[in-house]
Amino acid sequence: MWCTKSAAERIYLVRVMIAMSIYVGAIAAVSWSFHHRHPQGAVVYLLAMLPALPIFAVIASLGIYLAEEKDEFVRTVLVQCSLWATAIVLSIATCVGLLQTYVPSFAQRAGVTDYWVFTVWFLAYAAVQPFVRRRYK
Amino acid sequence: MKNRLRVLRAESNWSQADLAQRLEVSRQSVNAIETGKFDPSLPLAFRLARLFKMPIEQIFIDEDAI
Repeated sequence: MWCTKSAAERIYLVRVMIAMSIYVGAIAAVSWSFHHRHPQGAVVYLLAMLPALPIFAVIASLGIYLAEEKDEFVRTVLVQCSLWATAIVLSIATCVGLLQTYVPSFAQRAGVTDYWVFTVWFLAYAAVQPFVRRRYK
Repeated sequence: MKNRLRVLRAESNWSQADLAQRLEVSRQSVNAIETGKFDPSLPLAFRLARLFKMPIEQIFIDEDAI
């Protein structure tokens, strides 16, 4: 079947689910801390960056999956999807950067923050997969 | 790259899934190779050659040499 998952992909999905669960927990804990504990000094920086750790884990998981996947065709498709996702994110980031530069009110109106890049990359990575796979059918 | 994989597989009475299982790859890999849309690596080509007990050049067609 087209959607049959390899052992490497199953392990990857488990790793991502665990990391994203930790991410949700970290976001909740950090938000609660900032609202109720009002941290000061260096703790502010450490707390603010804490949710980034599981995101690093997700990125590492993808790299490990690419290394562990034994099926060279699947690896090829994944690398192509990654390149497409990177191209899409870079294009969007360039447009957003230019809008922020020349339309000062854009960032405030759109509520644009820089950490959306990760989310957009993974959304693009998922969205392009059917198109990349269709080329080989 | 054009190849005779579909014919060889049919002669062995194997489905794409059967061949994929023997090669330890996904069925979509077999399909992509059969349709000539994905060229396998040399190790995978050798595995195919061993499986069908014939040289690689009898499975894959070197169109530049024709």
